[in-house]
Amino acid sequence: MFMNRRKKVLVIGLDCAPPELVFEQWRDELPNFKRVMDHGAWGKLESCIPAITVPAWSSMMSSKDPGTLGFYGFRNRGDYSYEKNTLANSNSVKTDRVWDVLSRAGKKVITVGVPQTYPPKPVNGIQVGCFLSPSTKNPERPYTYPASVMQEIESAVGDYLVDVPNFRTDDKDYLLRQIYTMTEKRFKLVKKWIAEKDWDFFMFVEMGTDRIHHGMWKYHDPTHHKYVVHPVYNESIHNYYRYIDSEIGQILDLVDLDDTTVFIVSDHGAKKMDGGICVNEWLIKEGYLTLKSMPSSLTSIDKCEIDWSKTKVWGDGGYYARIFLNVEGREPQGIVKPEQVESLRNELKAKFEALVDPDGVDIGTTVYKPEEVYHEVNGVPPDLIVYFGDLYWRSVGTVGHGSIYTFENDTGPDDCNHAQFGIVIKHDPAVDEGVGGRELTGLQLMDMAPTILKQLEVPVPADMQGRAF
Amino acid sequence: MANTGFTIWFTGLSGAGKSTLSEAIEERLKARGRNIEILDGDIVRTHLSKGLGFSREDRDTNIKRIAFVCGLLTRNGVICISAAIAPYREAREWARNHIGHFVEVYVKCPIEVCRQRDVKGLYKLVDEGKLKGFTGVDDPYEEPEHPELVVETDKEAIEESVARIFAKLEELGYLEPEAAHDEEDAKIVTERLAALGYL
Repeated sequence: MFMNRRKKVLVIGLDCAPPELVFEQWRDELPNFKRVMDHGAWGKLESCIPAITVPAWSSMMSSKDPGTLGFYGFRNRGDYSYEKNTLANSNSVKTDRVWDVLSRAGKKVITVGVPQTYPPKPVNGIQVGCFLSPSTKNPERPYTYPASVMQEIESAVGDYLVDVPNFRTDDKDYLLRQIYTMTEKRFKLVKKWIAEKDWDFFMFVEMGTDRIHHGMWKYHDPTHHKYVVHPVYNESIHNYYRYIDSEIGQILDLVDLDDTTVFIVSDHGAKKMDGGICVNEWLIKEGYLTLKSMPSSLTSIDKCEIDWSKTKVWGDGGYYARIFLNVEGREPQGIVKPEQVESLRNELKAKFEALVDPDGVDIGTTVYKPEEVYHEVNGVPPDLIVYFGDLYWRSVGTVGHGSIYTFENDTGPDDCNHAQFGIVIKHDPAVDEGVGGRELTGLQLMDMAPTILKQLEVPVPADMQGRAF
Repeated sequence: MANTGFTIWFTGLSGAGKSTLSEAIEERLKARGRNIEILDGDIVRTHLSKGLGFSREDRDTNIKRIAFVCGLLTRNGVICISAAIAPYREAREWARNHIGHFVEVYVKCPIEVCRQRDVKGLYKLVDEGKLKGFTGVDDPYEEPEHPELVVETDKEAIEESVARIFAKLEELGYLEPEAAHDEEDAKIVTERLAALGYL
């Protein structure tokens, strides 16, 4: 007697994994990635704007853009005051993500470490919080749903790491040890649960890929301005990908590929970082921002005394810049007339996009207006979003550099920035794409959620913005 | 006190929203990692109080049995929710005294609204004369005089009632305020994110 096979979906998330390494440079050296690609479908996956872990994974799993979600990065303005910043954790996600839809449809779900799943929410299965979990030890604030799973994880892998402790270190041996420890524990847990638990949808996100890029890129990329020849570190990212590949191979051996759709996916890519644009130094120099006194050492902009009566614009740092206008009637001491907002935004956009490096070469900056890139603009958006030098340059928010350029990161060693395109690889048991697989084009993060739902034959909510592939 | 057991003792007419509130509270408390048990009137009557009728004596016995179980669980750190009608003050007082950590919540809703909702079809049976001794119709419901909280389910959304119940539990010290945790969490995580270069 034949029975209907139970369809399953496994999503292997690799934060920051770039197409250049997986599809090109190391394709022939990663046999298990290749194994999925060679008879599956694969391609670049365009990230959201901004191409950052938060909001990217939630955009992917809700199929809604960051504007619709109402958060634009990890830290968002809580209101139009100058002080209130909120952290975008799972409480900020007011819409369903894939596992919510699947839980309601009666599917068993397990998610491990998917960004913005702390605090964990009730699902029809298990949710293990992401690197936004403050602690894995506090039973009062469990990082898992159900809370009893905390003990189960500890029994399985000992001290579970949601992230790399003390990331900003120059001790690269220590950093590599921590990254491997974190990743090994996560894969150990994931393999155990894939084999032992009942699930229809299993998703985990490994952060080690992102952390090793940020920590080791200058050893990996000979075109990096800080490239250093080193007998061990030059191969550290390469070796880590080989290790990840072997773990993926073990996972593939645990699932029945005749009934399980497998995705290997990243939220954005990676590229070398050429330097930092000190956005607030630039705004001061151009006369948009006035401080009551210049700090004598590097000082965060929210610790500076800003003379709001003379300030039209201020900015925030990170892998991209968030630019805020001090608008009359909106901000407490706003001085930009509402009717001048648009012309000021255009003026800033033109100036940012004309930025050159210290040698006078155009760095190719792109400036986005939220309402032009999102379906809806909810929450408190930045007035402008800036990718300095197409993300080869980061935004530095601190003041006290004495220059608009810096080649030292203000928050410690970091050699890598994010890139707009990540990866997606899909094994669909119902489709053999033939030798070499089929290259997909034109995909965006938001296409993932409807694709997963379609695979599991669960109706796609009408408000999802992506398209199944 | 934050991890101590306690009992949320709902009381109110059939259809007032006791079960709905119980489930919503259960979900939120589970997300906080707490052990929780709901003693729903209908389920209790199927198991614990099978065979009991709806005379005053039987109703009192039913409530005392529920209170006994709540007492056992509460003293072992479990959060109990009693979602029975519990129409009589005297029985509720008995439960309060027996359990100790006791939070009485009056789920207030006009009988006309309950009748309209008629989730279980009981009011229809009453109207058809097929059900006698029904609380609020031909059997008394004694409103609580000093409950810890009154929620009015015809005037407020479920989320609002749930939020008010949580606020009361925090005020009474049975739960730690989430806001305090949020600030603490935010500080730890913000430092981590800054170190990671995200901020």
